[in-house]
Amino acid sequence: MKKRLREMRPVYVVGIGLHRYQRMSETPYVTLGLTAVREALSDANIEWPSVESAYTGTALLGMAASRPMLRYLGATGIPMAQVENASASGSTAVRQACLDVASGIADVSIAVGVDKPGPVAMAPAKTNIRDLAGRYIVPFTHFALLANEYMNRYGATAEQVAAVAVKNNRNGANNPYAQRQKAVSLEEVLAGPQISGSLTRLQCCPVGEGAAAAIVASDDAIEKLRIDRSRAVRVIASVSRSERVYTGAKNFDAELTRDTVAQAYEQAQISPSELDVVELHDAFTIEELLYVEAMGLCGEGEGARMIASGAADIGGRCAISASGGLLAMGHPIGPTGAGQVVEITRQLRGEAGVRQQPNARIGLAHMVGVGAVCVVHVLQKAP
Amino acid sequence: MPEATASQSNLYSAAPNPTLNGGHCRACGYVFFPPQNYGCESCGAPPEKLEPKSLKGEGVLSSFATVNLHLGKGIEPPFTVGVIVLDDGPAIRAVLTHKTDQGLKIGDRMRAVVVAGADDDRGAPANELRFARQETAR
Repeated sequence: MKKRLREMRPVYVVGIGLHRYQRMSETPYVTLGLTAVREALSDANIEWPSVESAYTGTALLGMAASRPMLRYLGATGIPMAQVENASASGSTAVRQACLDVASGIADVSIAVGVDKPGPVAMAPAKTNIRDLAGRYIVPFTHFALLANEYMNRYGATAEQVAAVAVKNNRNGANNPYAQRQKAVSLEEVLAGPQISGSLTRLQCCPVGEGAAAAIVASDDAIEKLRIDRSRAVRVIASVSRSERVYTGAKNFDAELTRDTVAQAYEQAQISPSELDVVELHDAFTIEELLYVEAMGLCGEGEGARMIASGAADIGGRCAISASGGLLAMGHPIGPTGAGQVVEITRQLRGEAGVRQQPNARIGLAHMVGVGAVCVVHVLQKAP
Repeated sequence: MPEATASQSNLYSAAPNPTLNGGHCRACGYVFFPPQNYGCESCGAPPEKLEPKSLKGEGVLSSFATVNLHLGKGIEPPFTVGVIVLDDGPAIRAVLTHKTDQGLKIGDRMRAVVVAGADDDRGAPANELRFARQETAR
């Protein structure tokens, strides 16, 4: 019989770590990754030999990234593999680690996302399928087209879309791990430079380097390793989906998120109104509006109003992108999805400091990736 | 999102009015563009069930964006791209003949035109299919 995550062994995030997201530097990926892993081990208060499997979320490094990095924690012989799922690579690594623990294959598993910018071969370019404008439409233009359509459909203004960047940079300014740590005004966001359509530079996420790690564990491991149960955050849903054919001129990105999130709510047995914190794929400002609507956090076409009302601020009804999101914390690709789980865990523990969403109980992490794919996790505070 | 190479030679038929070379699934009726012969994305029918279908190069503009930053070789910004919902069904993305979005409106009737476009991958000049607002075309 098929089982969903919730019906398998309970899985908890017990350790989190990051290397700051930053502009590309001379720092080897090994240093970035080890920094995040060591911080996560120290956070969980466990030693590397307790970790029984490892998944490295990476899209840009190339073949065989895991062991050349993880061997320097002491080569324990554990299974390790790379997970590539475009922008959702880190999220998918987290999912694989969760499945190892939920199934009973491992009691402790780690997902580490790590990347450095570099030339990358794109498989979709090797399908031999030509398109009229493929060469002209890079991701920011894809989302500029969606922004144009959205503003026309709902009468939203370019200022309302840009306001997402103001909120997320305000959050990022208080996140020591964020690539952009500077609050910006609406005027600064709108001042440009114009990139594509209504999108200005600050409405597009920075792609740099960094690392994020999440250690997940079973009840048995928490007991045996004397991990602090009060800081353990349970993973109550893990859902991964890919795009279908949506008939009509629907927004495929929003539909894929709607599909994936609906399954996650069902698995977690929650409604969207129960979410206290959400980290979503805000690579471009317009995406936050599309996804808060697709997630049912507000009605269709009400995303801009939700942001303007303060409901998505820290201290609002549901804090969206409290980390700064991709727009401010950054989007180093492999780390991003794992970094979202780090932020949600910190929030649900009540350890987010000045970025703390009061009384955060339930959080959701959402990434999409080129292809297109979507991966969602729902986490719940320890009772 | 297929990352296309420059050559569009199999994508359209130029004369007298440009039409797009789409595809049609005989099993489920799904109409698609760009053309491919791998299998039906909608129902999974094998290539034998797919046949070429000529799509009229006319439709309605459903969104557009003027691009001011582009790093691709042989493409000079600004240029404007749009999504056109073809009268024959599929929504396609194309470069517009309009350099900027001045005067463009969602809902405008658009038609395909062949223009001397940007250089292809190897730097050779290539014709391209673009879309223009219907009243200004030709």
